[in-house]
Amino acid sequence: MNPIPELKRQLKPMALILACALGLGWLFNLVMPQGLGWLPPAVSHPLWQPIARDQALAQIKNGAMLIDARPAGDYAQARVRGALKLPQDEIAKLYPLMQPLIAQAPTVVVYGQTTSRFPAATVAQHLRAQGHAQVFVVEGCLETLEQSGFPIQRPRRGAAS
Amino acid sequence: MSAILELLSLLARLITAGVFLFAAYDKVWDPANFAASVATYDMLPLWAVHAVSVSLAWLEMLVGTLLLLGLLTRAAALWACALLVFFTGLMIYAGITGAGFDCGCFPGGGEAAAHQAGFETAIRDIIFLVPATFTVLRPGRWLRLGGDRA
Repeated sequence: MNPIPELKRQLKPMALILACALGLGWLFNLVMPQGLGWLPPAVSHPLWQPIARDQALAQIKNGAMLIDARPAGDYAQARVRGALKLPQDEIAKLYPLMQPLIAQAPTVVVYGQTTSRFPAATVAQHLRAQGHAQVFVVEGCLETLEQSGFPIQRPRRGAAS
Repeated sequence: MSAILELLSLLARLITAGVFLFAAYDKVWDPANFAASVATYDMLPLWAVHAVSVSLAWLEMLVGTLLLLGLLTRAAALWACALLVFFTGLMIYAGITGAGFDCGCFPGGGEAAAHQAGFETAIRDIIFLVPATFTVLRPGRWLRLGGDRA
């Protein structure tokens, strides 16, 4: 077998396989109930409102509650000072406990976003679905928020919770 | 001698098919869970996560099915090699960066991190590359629905 001509000969069937995979995936997503949209529903059909970082800072100064939607491990390493921990993957467990506290706040600002994930959107969507009226999402990762003037708290090792 | 090589080709093809079908089944039927695994790597923009994860799951499923049936065998085996090389690189990257999460490669992952992304998973993928490469070089003729004129 001469590898280069053989590889060239296989490009068409390989492209066919890729095209079939894309087609089947698209069809499955269209037909099956567990199919996914292009974006998570919390992003494609948001119930929350986006808020600019300077406006979010002003809201927090005026008494808005700040919620960190990132994984608990990230929260333990660093967070915006005064933010409450409500990770996306623990929301079903933690929300009932935190609900009375969140209900007291006139406004809620949620943060937590990475390149591929947007937990703040999911948490904010959940809060809106539970009836909280003023729920805002401030976009950007923690570093971006820090650059925008959000005070960051980095607990010492062993003191995080 | 030829019969032994044919048997080895058949075994290599079926092993590769089995690996890909086993890996793809959960990803295809639970796309949301697999999309969450893909997002954990934080390498794709948010708008690409669902499209890439669904396409990848179906590519694995199709490659596994074609290898099992012996249709477009060499092309399917080339895809298997390409995917395994990519996954190996990804696992090495995860090992270097110290990612402590489940690789999302096979069922049974999740919080227990049964297949933690890292160097061990990279070695496993390199082992899987052996039968896949053998299938590319020698697709064989036994129990195949289609020929490659190899």
